Amino acid sequence: MIRFENVCKSYGSFQVLKNCSADIGRGEVVVVCGPSGSGKSTLIKCVNALEGFDSGQIFVDGTPVRDPATSLPRLRARAGMVFQGFELFHHMTVLENIMLAQRVVLDRSAEDARARSLKLLKRVGLAHHAMKYPVNLSGGQQQRVAIARALSMDPVVMLFDEPTSALDPEMVAEVLAVMTELAQAGMTMMCVTHEMAFARQVATRILFVDQGEIIDDMPSADFFSGQCSDRARNFLERIL
Amino acid sequence: MQIWNWHGFFMYLGSGFIFRGALVTLMLTVFATCAGFVLGTVVAVMKRSRHKGLSLPARFYIWLFRGTPLLVQLIIIYTGLPKFGIRLDVTTAALIGLSLNEAAYLAEIIRAGLDAVSPGQIAAARALGLEEGQIARYITFPQALRIIVPPLGNSVNGLLKTTSITSVISMEELLRRAQLLVQEHFMVLELFTVTAIYYLAMTSAWDMIQRRLENYVNRPYQRTATPVLLEPEANIAVTS
Repeated sequence: MIRFENVCKSYGSFQVLKNCSADIGRGEVVVVCGPSGSGKSTLIKCVNALEGFDSGQIFVDGTPVRDPATSLPRLRARAGMVFQGFELFHHMTVLENIMLAQRVVLDRSAEDARARSLKLLKRVGLAHHAMKYPVNLSGGQQQRVAIARALSMDPVVMLFDEPTSALDPEMVAEVLAVMTELAQAGMTMMCVTHEMAFARQVATRILFVDQGEIIDDMPSADFFSGQCSDRARNFLERIL
Repeated sequence: MQIWNWHGFFMYLGSGFIFRGALVTLMLTVFATCAGFVLGTVVAVMKRSRHKGLSLPARFYIWLFRGTPLLVQLIIIYTGLPKFGIRLDVTTAALIGLSLNEAAYLAEIIRAGLDAVSPGQIAAARALGLEEGQIARYITFPQALRIIVPPLGNSVNGLLKTTSITSVISMEELLRRAQLLVQEHFMVLELFTVTAIYYLAMTSAWDMIQRRLENYVNRPYQRTATPVLLEPEANIAVTS
């Protein structure tokens, strides 16, 4: 579903991504972890071209990202993304947030978009908050709306960029619960996260990234049973 | 000669001649604000462009019109342009001068507002598949408006009084008409007090409008904001 082929990216002389290659299959839940500054956020943002890269290629459901012939808006519409800072549109209600891209990108009718939005809100447990503005929701609620908003485009893959890092501990669980439900429903997911319990329970595979390189790429069971690299083991010891 | 002539004061306060002058002032302000806003938006967008061919002319425009007195601009437009075969009547010259001048100031206000929209909001819109034009229309401009309204109000307030400068090209607005009447009975203080009252009435009315505008654009950001029920049936659909 997502294939990275020798992806390289530099900021000046600093190499953020070094020859990153990996393949994420349909229905897989891949957790990307690693120390801060390792390039994992950059890696996930390359998938929907929010960040460019210098060489190599990424295919999303067969479509090459770094290709002038690829329509980036169309590609992005098929890859849902959830941000660390939620990024709900402040000036719109929850419902308007979820309806917007359905209306203007997918050309869905207002009734259709509204019905789908309300269904998604119900799915993330926020059906009664449809008419509120984001400022009146907690962080955890905002992030669940953001997930619903990404899902509204019927994406083939969901990208999560540290979705719980900006949340108070008691709100992390409600967001992870939604993500777990999504994984169980068969969604292809790529998640940058420090939530190792989630990685252990939900992820099918772990990519461990350090200094711009994918050091480990293995089933999560293997990763957590000690078959990972020394660098990964060091990292785990520090954060667990 | 008496110090203060009440009879004269009330005569001028009720004078249709002065009242119609105030209407002209109002008309100049409304027109220059609207035209200045449209032109200012174009200039602001140009100035933010990465292309030098767009940003340089915008910078030059702002530099020119903010760097010279409106008085000078008006005289050049009214007396200079006819020498190149462009003959303008007083009203047209005044409207053009005020609009061009106002656009330069509003361009900077609008640019600051556009710059204030957080990159995260734009990234989120991009990730949903919105095209750049759609992002401007649905995200950037609506959010910038909230930043723009307070300084815009200041600018309109200033413009209400600045229109008096058009009296130098004999535009018969409020101040010019007061000056004309002074030459009849020499009741300087009474006339200018009436003039001041008219200006105060107009700036006060604008204050009220501006407060409403600010409340309107701030509504989504107020924590206590009662959600607006755009579609009452949507709530029913959720609960059923």
